[in-house]
Order: sequence, then C-alpha cells, then structure tokens
Amino acid sequence: MSELRGYLWLVPGLPLLAAALTALAGPRLLRRHSHWPCILASLAAGVLSMMVLAAVAGGGEAVERYDTWFAIGGLDVGVTLRADGLSAIMLVTVTLVGSLIAIYSVGYMAGDPGYARYFAIIALFIFSMTGLVLASNFFLLFAFWEGVGLCSYLLVGFWFLKPAAAAAARKAFLVTRLGDVGFILGILLIWSGFVYPHDPARFPGGSRIEDPTTGVVLLGHAVDYDTVFRGAEAQAPGLLAAVCLLLLCGAVGKSAQFPLSVWLPDAMEGPSPVSALIHAATMVTAGVYLVARSLPLFSAAPLYVPLTVAVLGTGTAMWAALIALTQNDLKRVLAYSTISQLGYMFLALGSATTKGLAAVAAVAAIFHLVTHAFFKALLFLGAGSVMHAMGNVIDMRRLGGLRHVLPITHVTFLCGAAALAGVPLLSGFWSKDEILGVAWAAGQTGQPFQSVYRVLFAVGLLTAGLTAFYTFRAYFLTFWGDERLPPEAGHHAHESPWVMTVPLVILAGGAVVAGLVLEPLTHWMSRLLGEHWLVMFGLALSGEALNHRWGVMALSSLVALAGVGLAWWLYGADLRREMVHRLAQRFPSLYEASLNKFYVDELYAFFIVAPMTALAAFCRIFDQYIVDSLVDLMGHVPGLVGRLLRPIQNGLVQFYALAMMLGLTVFLGALVWRLAR
Amino acid sequence: MRWLSFLVAATCLALSFVLAWRLVQVQETLPPHPSDARQLLKPTFRPVLVPGSTPEQPHATTWDLVPIGPGVVQFYIGLDGLNIWLVVLTGVLMLPAVLVSWRHITERVHEFFAWLLLLQTAMLGIFLAFDIVLFYVFFELSLVPLFFLIGIWGGPERRHAARKFFIYTLAGSVLTLLGVIAVVLACYERHGELTFSLPRLVEIVHSRLGLDSPEERAYWGNVQFWVFLALTAGFAVKVPLVPLHTWLPLAHVEAPTAGSVDLAGVLLKVGAYGFLRLCVPLAPDASLGLGLPLVTGLAAIGVLYGAYCAYSQDDIKKLVAYSSVSHLGVCMLGMFALNVVGVAGSLMQMVNHGLSTAGLFLLVGMLYERYHTRKISDFGGLAARLPLLGCFMVFICLSSVGLPGLNGFIGEALVLLGIFEHQWARGQFPWLAVIGASGMVLGAWYLMTMLQRVFFGPVREPTVAGHDGPSRDLSLREVATLAPVAILCVVIGVYPQPMLDAMRSEVQVIADIAQRARERMAAVPAVAERSFGPGEARAEGLQGGPGR
Repeated sequence: MSELRGYLWLVPGLPLLAAALTALAGPRLLRRHSHWPCILASLAAGVLSMMVLAAVAGGGEAVERYDTWFAIGGLDVGVTLRADGLSAIMLVTVTLVGSLIAIYSVGYMAGDPGYARYFAIIALFIFSMTGLVLASNFFLLFAFWEGVGLCSYLLVGFWFLKPAAAAAARKAFLVTRLGDVGFILGILLIWSGFVYPHDPARFPGGSRIEDPTTGVVLLGHAVDYDTVFRGAEAQAPGLLAAVCLLLLCGAVGKSAQFPLSVWLPDAMEGPSPVSALIHAATMVTAGVYLVARSLPLFSAAPLYVPLTVAVLGTGTAMWAALIALTQNDLKRVLAYSTISQLGYMFLALGSATTKGLAAVAAVAAIFHLVTHAFFKALLFLGAGSVMHAMGNVIDMRRLGGLRHVLPITHVTFLCGAAALAGVPLLSGFWSKDEILGVAWAAGQTGQPFQSVYRVLFAVGLLTAGLTAFYTFRAYFLTFWGDERLPPEAGHHAHESPWVMTVPLVILAGGAVVAGLVLEPLTHWMSRLLGEHWLVMFGLALSGEALNHRWGVMALSSLVALAGVGLAWWLYGADLRREMVHRLAQRFPSLYEASLNKFYVDELYAFFIVAPMTALAAFCRIFDQYIVDSLVDLMGHVPGLVGRLLRPIQNGLVQFYALAMMLGLTVFLGALVWRLAR
Repeated sequence: MRWLSFLVAATCLALSFVLAWRLVQVQETLPPHPSDARQLLKPTFRPVLVPGSTPEQPHATTWDLVPIGPGVVQFYIGLDGLNIWLVVLTGVLMLPAVLVSWRHITERVHEFFAWLLLLQTAMLGIFLAFDIVLFYVFFELSLVPLFFLIGIWGGPERRHAARKFFIYTLAGSVLTLLGVIAVVLACYERHGELTFSLPRLVEIVHSRLGLDSPEERAYWGNVQFWVFLALTAGFAVKVPLVPLHTWLPLAHVEAPTAGSVDLAGVLLKVGAYGFLRLCVPLAPDASLGLGLPLVTGLAAIGVLYGAYCAYSQDDIKKLVAYSSVSHLGVCMLGMFALNVVGVAGSLMQMVNHGLSTAGLFLLVGMLYERYHTRKISDFGGLAARLPLLGCFMVFICLSSVGLPGLNGFIGEALVLLGIFEHQWARGQFPWLAVIGASGMVLGAWYLMTMLQRVFFGPVREPTVAGHDGPSRDLSLREVATLAPVAILCVVIGVYPQPMLDAMRSEVQVIADIAQRARERMAAVPAVAERSFGPGEARAEGLQGGPGR
C-alpha cells in the first residue's frame, strides 16, 4: 500500500466520469459547452500523471489491487493497476497529448452536430488508453485494448453518413480484432501453459497445481505481469516462442504492421484531431507498448522470436515509406509515415537479442514512441489546420504556397516535419538514432542472426532517408511553390483560431526540444525506465550501452539531410516538379505500385474477403436447401406412410368383413400349424 | 390486461432478485463443498429454499404429487447456483416482452398475454424443478404457449413455422422422456428405490458407479450410453446444435417480438441447462466419452457455420437467429470442457446470450414496427434518423461481439479459458479454443457489417404505406423496454463476481462429477474405448439426433 493508491485510479477514473457526463447530459444540456468535462478531466488526469511520474521517479513504484474483476476455479483476474517507469511515461504522454488535442478540437469541431458525442468518445478514449497502460494483468490489458479499439471504431466512423467513413470504421475494427484473436490465444496459453516453481512470495499471482504425472507441487494459472514475467526464464523455449508470436499478432494488428496494416490509412476518414490522437500519437503505439511490456518474455524466447519482430518492423518501415513517397493526400502521407515509424519501434524491440541489449532496446523504442507522439500529433493537427482553412481539401495537388496564408501552421508544421525527418538536434533525430544504434549493436553480438541485423540496420538507414524525403516532399508541396487555393476555401482563407494554434505551438516546442531534454542532456528517460521498470524483471541497463555511437549518428544525419535536400531540389519550386512527372512516366509500374499501396487492399479483397463472402453465401444456400430440406423430408415420412395405408380405410363394409375373415383365417391357420408341429 | 401482465412480470422480476439475494445468504450459512473431489462423498445437487422441506432434510421436499407412495413424484422445486441466474434472466426478460407487445399486439390481447404468462410459468418451472417428472412436464408445457404465440400472432408463414417448431422439438423431447424413464427404472432395478428426485437419482447413479464390479460397470455403461443419447436428442434440438437448428430461424422470423425474445432469451437455454442438469450428472461416463467429442465437435461446427450463415442473411431477424446458433455453440464448448472455469463460463454465456440476443430482437421488432420490413437492403443511415435506436443497437451489438466491459466478454473469456485448459492439459492442440476465438472475429464481422449497412452510410428509408410523417425515435416506453437489458449488460460486464460466487459450489459439483468420470475412464481404458469410441459414437449420435 503506497501513497499512490489514493489517486492512481483517478487517472482513468476522471475521464470516464467526463465521458459518462458528456454522453448523458451533452446533447440536451451542455451542447456548445460539451468540451468542458473532457478537457478538464484530461488536464486533471495529466496533473495526476505527473504526480505518478514524480512518485515513481522517487522510488514509489506500486502495484495496487482495487477489486476482483472475475475469479473462479484457478482463475483470478483482479482490477490491478500498476505504476512503474513505463506506465508513468506512457501516462504523461497520453494525457498531455490528449489534453492538447481536446483543446484543439474545440476549434476544429465547432458547429458539428455531433459535438457532444465527439467529446464523450474522446474522454472515453483517454480513459481506455490510460487504463491500458496502467493495467497489471493481461485480461485487464486486453479489456482496455478492446476499449481503445471501440473508441477508434466510433471515431473513424464519426461522420457515419459518409460511406467511406462507415466502411473504414468497420475495417479498422475487424482487422485489429483479427490480430486480437492471436492476442487472446496468447493469454490463454500463458494461463494454461506457464508453470512456476512453488514460491508464492516471488510469484504472487499463481494458484497451486500439481503435476499429474510426477505429483510435484507447482504454481500455475497466472495472468498478472509480475508472475508471468518473472517466470519467463522457467518456461520451455517452444512454449515461450509460441506465446510471444501470439502476443505479437495482437501488437501487429493494433500497431498496423505489415500483414494487418491496411486499416490505418483508411482510418484517416475520421476527423483530423482523431487521426492525431488515436491513429498517430497514442492508440497505435499500444502494440509497441505491449511488446515492450512483454520484453521479459521476448528476450527470454529463442532468438528467432526477436528476429521476427525486427524483420517485420523493418520491412513494414521500408514498405510504408515507399508508399508514402507517391501519395497525394497529405493525411495519407502522414498515415503511412506513422506505420513506418511504428515499424522502427518494432525494429528496436526486435534487436533485444541479449539481456544487455534488451534494456537498451526498450529505452530506444519507448523514447521514439514519446517523441513520435509529439511530432506526429503536431503534423496531423497541422494537416487538420490546413483542412480547416481550405474547406476540407487535403489533396496536395490542389494546394500550394500556403506559407503566407497559414503562417503559424506553416512554422509549426515545419518543426514537426524536421523532427520526423531526423534533422540533427531535433527530437526525432535523437530517438531514431538510438534505434539505429541498437540495430547496429545487434549486428555485432556474435550471435547466429547477427548478419541479418546488419542488413536490417542498412534498410533502417535507407528508410531514414526516404522518411526525410517524403516528409519534406509533402511539406514543400503544401507550403511552397505558387499559391494555389481550392475553390472550397472561399474568398477569405485564414489562419485557424487560437484554440487550434496554441496546441500547435506547444507541440512544436515539444517536437523541437523534447528529445534533447529527455535523453542526451539528462538521461531521464533511460534512468526512469531502467531503474523503475526493467530492473524489476531482471533486465539491467548498463551505462556503457547508452553511449552514443558517433558514426551511426553522423551517417543518419547525412542521410536525413540528403533526403531533405533532394526534396527541396525537386519540390521546392514549381519548375522542377515537371521532372518528377517525367520520372514517374519513365517507370510507370513502380510508380503505380507505390501509388496504389502495392495493391495490398485488392489482394486481400480477392484472396480473403471474397472467399469469406462466397463461403457465407454457400452456407446460407446449403442451410436453406440441403439441411432444412432433409428435415422437411423427414417430416414428410409419416404423411407418406399414411398415404400408403389410406386406401385400406376405404369405408366399404364388405372389404372390412373380407379383411377380417382373411386375418382370422391366417391367424387360425398359423395357430393350427403351430399346434400340429 | 396489459397492466396486469406488467404487474405480474414486475413482481416476478422483483421476486427473482429477492430469491437471488436469499440464495446468496443461504449459501453463506451452508457448509462449503469440499473442494477436493476425493473427499466429496455425495456428488449431487443441494437445492435450497425448497418449499415443503423439513428441518431434518432441508434439501428435499414432502409435497407429493402422485399418490403412489411417499417421495415418488413430488412437487419438488428449489434454487441452487445452476438455476438462480437463469430464473433471474427469465424474470428480467419478461418485462421487456410485455412492454414491447404494448402497442404491437392489437388482436386478441387478453389471450396473448395469457399465453405469454403461461410461457413464463413453464420456463420458470423448468429451471426450478428438481423432480425429473416435474421437469419434463414443464419442458413440454413450454411448447404449447409458444406454439400459439407463433401460430396466432406471427408473421405471414406463422402456421408452418409454429407446426415445424412444435413437431421438431416434440420429436426430440419424446426421446428425452424415454431417457428419463430409463434412468429411473435402472435405479429401481439395481438399487430397489423408486424415486424421481433428481438429487437422489444422481446420488444413486454415483453410488452404483462407484462399485467395483465388472458386471455393474458393464450394466451402467450400457444404461448411460442410451440415456445420454435419449436426453441429448431432446436437448440438442433445443440448444440447437448444428444439424438440428433449422426450426430456429423460421420460428424466430415468424414469431412476434415478445415470442422471439423469450424463445431466444430463455427457451434456448433450456437445452443447454438440460445438458448441465440431467445429462452430465446422470450419464457422466457417457458425457465424457461420447458427449465430449460429439457435442464439442458439433458446437465448434456450429460456431463457424452459424456465423457464416448469419453473414449472408438479408433479414435482420434471421441474422440474429443464426448468431444464436453461433453463440450457443460457444456456450456448449465451455460446458463440455467439463471443468470449473468452462462450466461457469457456459452458464455466464447462457445469461449473457439471453440478454444481448433479447436486446437485438427487441430492437429489430421496434424497427419492424416503424417500417414493416426487416430487410437489410431496404435500410441505410438510420442512425441519423433514429439516433437513440441506433445507439442502443450499436451498444447491444458490442455486447454481443464480446467487448470487454460488457457482459458478453466474461462468458466468452471463461469458456475459452476452460476449453483451452481442457485440451492443453491433455496434450492436444487446442483447436476448439482457436475456433471459439475465431468466432469472436466472425461475430464482429456479421454484426458490424449489418450495422454499417443499416445504420451508417447515406440515409435510405423504406416507404411505408399508410404511415403518417417520418418515423419517430424511441418513445419513453421503448427506452424503458431496453434500459433494463442495457443496464444489466454493463453491470455484468463490469462486476460479474457476485454471479460467479453464487454459482461456484454447484459448478464445482459438476466438475467433480466429471473428474470422477475421468478417473473411472483412466482406470479402465479398454472398456471405455470399446463402448464409446468416438467414431462409432458420432455415427450413433447423428442417427439418434434428427428425430423426425
């Protein structure tokens, strides 16, 4: 019992209260003021998160069990919240970015008929996301995990009268749920498969079981983090690998990694602040969080497990960057860059091939997660500001030279773009550099797959260049060149109101300095994660591992600046854009493939969706005409028998008399014959 | 008349909650069941609050029904952990059933409510009965009111639907009667005691099974085999398990909304409840050896097949009907995991499915009242026109797909845990859990698609002849109809522990019964293999099943 117990539950509790209040009272009573409960609750949650962070940094990590959610037999799922380094950092990020985006939304969503509904769901989302990072057992995590998925569904389909939005909402829900099947099976496997030595002090969550063959008393049936992660080393390697890969399925779905990435670009149909909050800064990072949280499992698993994570992440990073090169929709460029950056985080986590590296990998991934939350939220809000001014037009071919029309948006967007591109000294630079550093180190361990990691490092470096290029391509196309305004903008296109620009400025400040302050100058991030989280599960962070690799740093700066320079040369002014067109016409198949997202949607529609639908239609017909007909056939049997027998009952007394006589004769004959024998 | 039925339903609801509260109190005073199977001498039910019980025998009754000797056929009803929540569910669903019929039923109103209340009597009777004959009487009685409800107040094909429903389920339950009589006679022949009391029968069966003689073993192996088949025939139709489900969509589509609510919400649970109350305790070895592969196999097929059938329906009511097939498949998977977690999950799933499916049927009924059609292709963007109805629909759909925090998740999670544990502990690949989990995605697939087509996208309303003005959103009466269901969905999802606590000891009894059967099977594997080999079992089961 610590001092945290008193207010830890309030961090998710207040937004939940706000959500309920807005949902019930919003449409009738609050109306134009529906944003107040949400904003106040998320700001209060932000302050409380800071207090949690301070408490944790002062050595006050705590696991608080408030109640039992459900327990029967060997199962015991508690409402258990956990404050440690990882959850504290996530909490602060979520509530801070969440509050800023809620404030921004006041301007962006003004006048929308679903104003109250919007803020109710945003508050519900902040509740779910803070709950997700605070949960201390897998079932509670899964519950909040689905909760954020629900909010994503409701917000992507916020303008549900648009068919594209309705379809995107369903797609987002179904694709992530596909990953969640793996996730829940992973949890089942942890519950059933993992056994621990009988030591209730070390493994608080297990219940007593007996090995049926040997009669040895063990602990099993645990789903809480402490038990599962501390017992990771004791499990069979194959089992551990299976668990990790199943959990990875869930992470891949939520974080839109390769096979399940198709939902995220479509999710841009939601309002822009939603894209910023859910589909860039927080919810999509839940997959990264899950793998980071389960790092004790992943680092104890056989080496091919982290390798899978790394390959998947790097592949996705590269693939999404290639698609982002040619997209014309500003928000889609940003969506693919989100997928790509999440891929980077998975690369970092997948580089955890040794105990020492695992800790560094976790720090690198979470560091990038935090900085990315700032600059990607900023970029999406900037794009939203552009849409707001341009009458909801976001096609970059119809925009241009907006730097004079939207001066504040322009400067803040530039900050975000530079941070994403990895321009030296900005926040994205530091975190991306750590990721590349970990990947480099994983290539030098002398372990079986080290050469693969060298390739991954090279691919990661190349992707950094691509990232810089497509980010600045989008920036130059939107803000430079000749001034072009779409007719939808009206005659007085103007900068957004202050409720929208102030959050932009604050986030821009974060995008510029957060990276420098958090890690290279103070080492806050690594100290907090190392001392107040990793060490609990036996992963120590050595000082030497954190030293910056100057070579890697120089190389990545060079690549990033080259990307920016190339973008400037090609897109900085209108005259050279012709050249790009000609280049695209020289290689039409490559260009088309990238523009059409490598046809993944079409492939899925053909190979998965169509067969499923066909099977469903087949089942319907089979059920109606085969199964039910068989039943009806059985139903006709008595009728048929009756019809066969009916002629006998013909109502003729003579016939009945004849039948009686014949029957009597046969009976008597049989009797006589029987007696005679 | 409406007000009278409303009052009766409300009283019933209040009473059921009082009973639940009393049961929890009584359970606290009872000595707990020993948790270790080996210490438990009499693995049987101990109903409490039995009317007509004496202080010496608190779990039995003295109210005789048929004067052919003391304690033969008795009016023996009681409560325990297995039936209490189903009784509450019946009470909860009666109120919406009455309210939704308020305006909808305009012809022969008195009769309608009379049948509806008789249906409730029958359903409560089934759940409460501890006398096997009484159980059967109520079991058959439940068919009659529903037959008339469908046949008189149903849709255009009501006669066909009513007849098919009646004959199909009757054919199954006639075999059930055979099974019931067989158990009683077998106990009479071997033990010399003629009794129809369920707890006593279970006790006798287990005392005979515990005897260590090959002759006794062979005799009971045979009895159990046939008893199991006979009981299964009736209950599998009711659940319904997959090849025997085709009466269900028809009956649902034609039934009036109140009939659908009670049919899906409560009556389908009778099948599952029968498996739990009669099949497993009276034929434990057969349930394990033959029922496990047969029932879980059919249930797994049902999970997938029902979902696929649901997806391609154009009638929303049919979609919901097929979703019941899928969800009850999950329920049966959990039950035949035959361990504590799985059985508890199965019971939770029964209640949860009752709530969410009843909610869906209520909503579909309200749509139908407004537009006189249920075709998905007729609708579009209704959430803009009927925001409150759309809200409730999204909410109930989410509960049905098992979103954590709402009721559906608790049942599904427990079932999956139970069935996974069952297969994992025996070194099998947990494919049943994989199928159960994929049911979660498929459930989301058809329900979300329905939502998208009906409630989202551009507004498309069917034109209704003789309708004045645009359709109105939910009235206060309709909100009052849906509110109890919706509130319970949240309450069960967030705080299911009281429900689990109340059912704990009886679920333990079922698990103990199964554990004893496992030990017997392990002791004589050869016999077990011979009498209930899976291949032979499946063929037999399919023959015994469809009936006529």
